[in-house]
Amino acid sequence: MSLELFEDEEQIIESSRAILASNTLNDAAREPFAALLKSFEKLFKTTRRMMRLSDRNEHNLMEVSKSLDEKNAMLERLSHQLSKYLSPQVYATIFSGQRQVTLNTERKKLTVFFSDIKDFTATTDDMEPEDLTFLINDYLTEMTRIALKYGATIDKYIGDAILIFFGDPESRGVQEDAQACVRMALEMQRHMADLRTKWSEMGYARPFHMRVGINTGYCNVGNFGSNERMDYTIIGGEVNLAARLEGVSDADGITLSYETYALVKDLVVVERGEPLTVKGIHRQITPYKVVDILADVENSGRFFRQEKDGMRLFLDFDRLTEQSRRLEAIETMKRALERLNCRVDGGEIPSP
Amino acid sequence: MDNIKIERTERTPEVNFDFSRNTFVLRGESYPENVPKFYGDPIKQLQEHLNNLEDGQVSFDFDLVYFNSTSAKVIINLFETLDAAAERGLDVTINWHYDADDDNSAELGEEFGEDLESANFKLCPRD
Repeated sequence: MSLELFEDEEQIIESSRAILASNTLNDAAREPFAALLKSFEKLFKTTRRMMRLSDRNEHNLMEVSKSLDEKNAMLERLSHQLSKYLSPQVYATIFSGQRQVTLNTERKKLTVFFSDIKDFTATTDDMEPEDLTFLINDYLTEMTRIALKYGATIDKYIGDAILIFFGDPESRGVQEDAQACVRMALEMQRHMADLRTKWSEMGYARPFHMRVGINTGYCNVGNFGSNERMDYTIIGGEVNLAARLEGVSDADGITLSYETYALVKDLVVVERGEPLTVKGIHRQITPYKVVDILADVENSGRFFRQEKDGMRLFLDFDRLTEQSRRLEAIETMKRALERLNCRVDGGEIPSP
Repeated sequence: MDNIKIERTERTPEVNFDFSRNTFVLRGESYPENVPKFYGDPIKQLQEHLNNLEDGQVSFDFDLVYFNSTSAKVIINLFETLDAAAERGLDVTINWHYDADDDNSAELGEEFGEDLESANFKLCPRD
């Protein structure tokens, strides 16, 4: 059964027409009544048309709105996928409209981090491509996670190398940026030790060892390239220097320039190397190799880590809150000390 | 009279007419392809039911998120039907549900309610 939406109005029209046809109205009333009915009929017809038009417009608007929603969702998915190709900070400044995507650069004091895997080609020469893919992705994923934790801008991955900088687009100050960079590098190297254990257990015979070079100085940062294809990156002699320092760094080591060391000297213990002449840099460069993180800095955190040749010590104080657990840890370390002392003194090794 | 229960679809609202309890609900979105056809049977039966009622309480809940112009005409007609039933002596309450932050829907409900002379009208904001 269909509903007659304008039943009342149609009935009024019908009965009015009947009155006009019946000639019951006097001459004075007939003409204005006929005019009134005609006007009502016209208005009624217009109302029906307008209602149909309005329905059509609303329907079209709904369709457009749905289509826009779908397009927005698609753009959101695409931009999310594209964001993986950009550093999160750079992505955020572009998508929030703070930064124009034009060929613009500026000069800023940055701390530049450069790392690669020592003897990468030799290490991976006889490796199956699937294994190599897994290892490199695992390594880059873990290093990226740590970098983002410290607020680094990840410039690019160049095979096994990573170029990272601090100080743009956000900066906490030159010294804070340098310290964040060094802290990040220390955590990366510590985590590499854990990754090597994992990789060894998985059967990889020659796990990766990372080398790191860090330098602080003025660089050009911004969009380089062409209007069709550009890269948000850094260039300049100071970037080259970070790469050169990485080249002279030991496996598992972190080598700083003097400029960076001066900004982080309260944080780390370093070994001053012999001045070097490196390719592309006119002046002699003194490398500072990080040998330790200062105890008071380390003691202030959740973890205590020390790693030397033949020794690895790791304490997580947040998991040693119970008295019994702390005593157990102390006992374990005492037993370790006893064994170590026996070795040093040349005595017998007590049984555990 | 058998109760009417129609599930909602993308374009049509849930229709829940309980003639034994005199509670009537329209809930969801309303922009059917053919508005008179969709509402024809339920409204005819409602009108018949109300005409046969001599006294008692009747409540009608309009819980619509979106409706097109033709559906608006159906709603206006329903308001008139319910008001006429109230004029005959039934205790009729119309509940107009709307999103608390949707001023347009609240305003529209108020406008529809202004024309009522005998039925009770309540604005019911959704949380």
